[in-house]
Amino acid sequence: MDDNKAKVIFQPSGRRGEVPKGITLIEASRMLGVDIESLCGEKKVCGKCRVRIEEGFFEKFGIRSRGTHVSPWQEEEEKFINAEARKSGYRLGCVTKVEGDVLVFVPEESRAGKQVVSKAARDIHIECNPAVRIYYIEMDPPTFEEPTGDFERICRELEREYGLKELKSDLLTLRRIPGVLREGKWKVTVSVWMDQEIIRVRPGKVENSYGIAIDVGTTTVAGYFCNLNTMEVIDTVSLMNPQCKYGEDVMARITFHMTTPGGLKRMSDDIIEGLNWLIDQAIQGTYPPKTKKKDENGKTVKDADGEPVMVETPEEGKTYLRLTREDIEDMTLVGNTAMHHILLQLNPEYVGLAPFPPVIHHSLDIRARDLNIRINPSAYVHVLPNEAGFVGADNVGVLIAEEPYKSDEIQLIIDIGTNGELVFGNKEKMISSSCATGPALEGAQLAFGMRAAPGAIERIKIDPETHDVDYKVIGRDAWRQYSEAKEMKVKGICGSGILDVLAELYRAGIVTKSGVFNKKQKSNRYRKNVDNGQPEFVLAWAEETSIEKDVVITQKDVRQIQLAKGALHCGCKLMMRRMGMEKMDTVKIAGAFGTHVDREKALIMGLFPDCEIDKILGVGNAAGDGARAALLNREKRVEANWVSRNVEYIELTVEKDFQQQFMEAMQIPHMKDAFPHLEGLVSEEILHQK
Amino acid sequence: MASKEELLKQLSDGVVEYDEEVVKNAAQSFLDDGYPALDGIMDGLAAGMVIVGDLYERNEYFVPEVLMCADALYAGLDILRPHVPADISTVKGQVVIGTVQGDVHDIGKNLVKMMFDVAGFTVHDLGRDVPLENFVEEQMRTDSDIVAMSAMMTTTMLGMKKVVQMIKEKNPDVAIMLGGAPVTKDVASLFGADGYAESAGNAVQEAIKMISRLRELRQKEH
Repeated sequence: MDDNKAKVIFQPSGRRGEVPKGITLIEASRMLGVDIESLCGEKKVCGKCRVRIEEGFFEKFGIRSRGTHVSPWQEEEEKFINAEARKSGYRLGCVTKVEGDVLVFVPEESRAGKQVVSKAARDIHIECNPAVRIYYIEMDPPTFEEPTGDFERICRELEREYGLKELKSDLLTLRRIPGVLREGKWKVTVSVWMDQEIIRVRPGKVENSYGIAIDVGTTTVAGYFCNLNTMEVIDTVSLMNPQCKYGEDVMARITFHMTTPGGLKRMSDDIIEGLNWLIDQAIQGTYPPKTKKKDENGKTVKDADGEPVMVETPEEGKTYLRLTREDIEDMTLVGNTAMHHILLQLNPEYVGLAPFPPVIHHSLDIRARDLNIRINPSAYVHVLPNEAGFVGADNVGVLIAEEPYKSDEIQLIIDIGTNGELVFGNKEKMISSSCATGPALEGAQLAFGMRAAPGAIERIKIDPETHDVDYKVIGRDAWRQYSEAKEMKVKGICGSGILDVLAELYRAGIVTKSGVFNKKQKSNRYRKNVDNGQPEFVLAWAEETSIEKDVVITQKDVRQIQLAKGALHCGCKLMMRRMGMEKMDTVKIAGAFGTHVDREKALIMGLFPDCEIDKILGVGNAAGDGARAALLNREKRVEANWVSRNVEYIELTVEKDFQQQFMEAMQIPHMKDAFPHLEGLVSEEILHQK
Repeated sequence: MASKEELLKQLSDGVVEYDEEVVKNAAQSFLDDGYPALDGIMDGLAAGMVIVGDLYERNEYFVPEVLMCADALYAGLDILRPHVPADISTVKGQVVIGTVQGDVHDIGKNLVKMMFDVAGFTVHDLGRDVPLENFVEEQMRTDSDIVAMSAMMTTTMLGMKKVVQMIKEKNPDVAIMLGGAPVTKDVASLFGADGYAESAGNAVQEAIKMISRLRELRQKEH
């Protein structure tokens, strides 16, 4: 074997292969297709990539694995791996380098689970006016008297019939025209982009054309596959942003670009590949699922190579569109400014440095094939405009979906993602801002934080009398109190559960207004951690979990949530002050967990200033809705460009009293401000505590 | 009339309980009764801040509480500091402090600044979003012993490396401290810095430890 290579085997997946010596276990896992959780992007701070190096000779694989076959123990690891775990071989995947053959066990909690994405399309009103329209025309074939060229023949008919003037076409489309005209016996359907360019010609009369609107989130990418004529959403597809492996937040990605030669291209290639995968998913969904063919005896039929023969198995009563990638003739993209820049390989460095200018505000129309996006190669990808460095095309999407600039009501729109984006105002004036909520609200950096995947606690109730906890996990409908302990299979806690937990801890008096655990506790769920002496509160006992240890929320976790919610609350308040307003009429919460947010809990924890509970609305993935609106109505693209330049971006951290405001907003629900709408929801003594 | 010990306790408690009035009154009485102002600072205010540091370390106090304690401490410092004779100041050091270019977060920096203030340093605060060369120029101009830089974002952290190089080239004896959320011990040593603080909180603890050591020294002198 090559001296510079070593054999690495990952368990329990069994993936194995030779890797160059000197790379980290995380890098090796990536090469071998094993997903290890790395929320911090290998910054050695999240401690989620704990793995165990097995000792001994493993005959089955023919390797001798030893703790000495990896690089020596590093100081950073001590924070996450106690002495006992260290003894049994635990290491951090991002620190430990391969120096010889090893067998690596990836424990359940370190495996990156499949995320449950809830970015479903909402029913919003959109006018049908797509950028790509189809026109049916019938022409006379050329004769000696009238030998005009094929392209001009089409243009002449489109002008006569539909008044379309001065059309052009790209070479790819042109190459196909002569064949299609004759195949269709001079009756064809022409797809025209923005009344300017012929992007496709199909034989005969075709009634439908298709497009896809995609929201590229820092963590989640969601696509809405639509019929451009009926406006129907045919399918919603999603995936985890493949760039997550370079770091969980926008800053980590920008840093990756700044510190890694070729890093920008790598990240761009990854997301483009992801988008193509997403498009393939959407296309595959238009065909019946395939199953193994069985003979009369119920045995699987195999082909000459011994592989099972697959046959289509349509669901009864369902029609299948059977589309190809070529049938996707338009695409819109939204994303925060950093995702926008990285995808387009525009230098994102300056977006990460104050005063955070983007490379471009204006929207872009880019030929799909220039981006290597595999839809109809002559189609354009419309990239929505950016507002500012930290308020990108995704926020423009939110704005054109919610249209606060057409409303009399003063609206506050909060888009909670890895970065929080805020918009405030009405048709008179709109301002936007962003705040560093950090990844805490999405589960990172908390002791048992995780993504919204099966086993994540998503709802929590705590009894104020007994301090007993009831909760619900993703993947199981029944709450804890209606289940057996072993049925819960808890792994951790995700975003919506994190919002719930702070509100419930406060309402039950388990933590005080300042966020510290109360000295008066009513249950044995409160305790001091044996290892570090930190106070913690048990949400799920070990027997209710699949990771064989108590799932707790620690004092430090509470502090992290407070930082995030303080940033959002303070942002809202400073924006209101900037506009000279005391209150707002409506609060809209957007984002992946926008529809999952319990609005009562959001108010109790003080995510934003006091307001009527009935006026708090979850608007789901409004950014994706905006992308869809721009796909189906080209006027929305014009509107988006106007909005992006007419919403005033303000930088909150430079406000004179930011520090004071931020610190007041970290308390629950707020250090000084009254919350009259919590009267009755939270007991007197809790709400009015000193 | 309260004894010296009672007044010192009031100063300390006032800081811990972030009660500016208590601190102000105690500081004034302390002066009125003729006790040395420096004792009030080190054995009253600073002693209180050491307790605050412990509470922070145990997560019982959080940034808001620490900031309020800092306000109380400054209230006392404003009264006592003018009465400390120049020649017996605890530390005759100077420090240049600021948040690096591209970064506008300065809560952590302000806390560290306070620690230097308490310890008796002359602090040259450059504020935030400070152009890198300004650190170098200010150090040269003032001949400061310490340059302390903070960055909250990984993107801006990279700028600190340049400053370290620029300063060390001109004056290798200057001690350089780095701080801020993304800064790790590795980063600090990689950048060639002399000290680091992992986060605002950590900086507070580090700085408080620094004060504790100063107090020990003083006690030994007595």
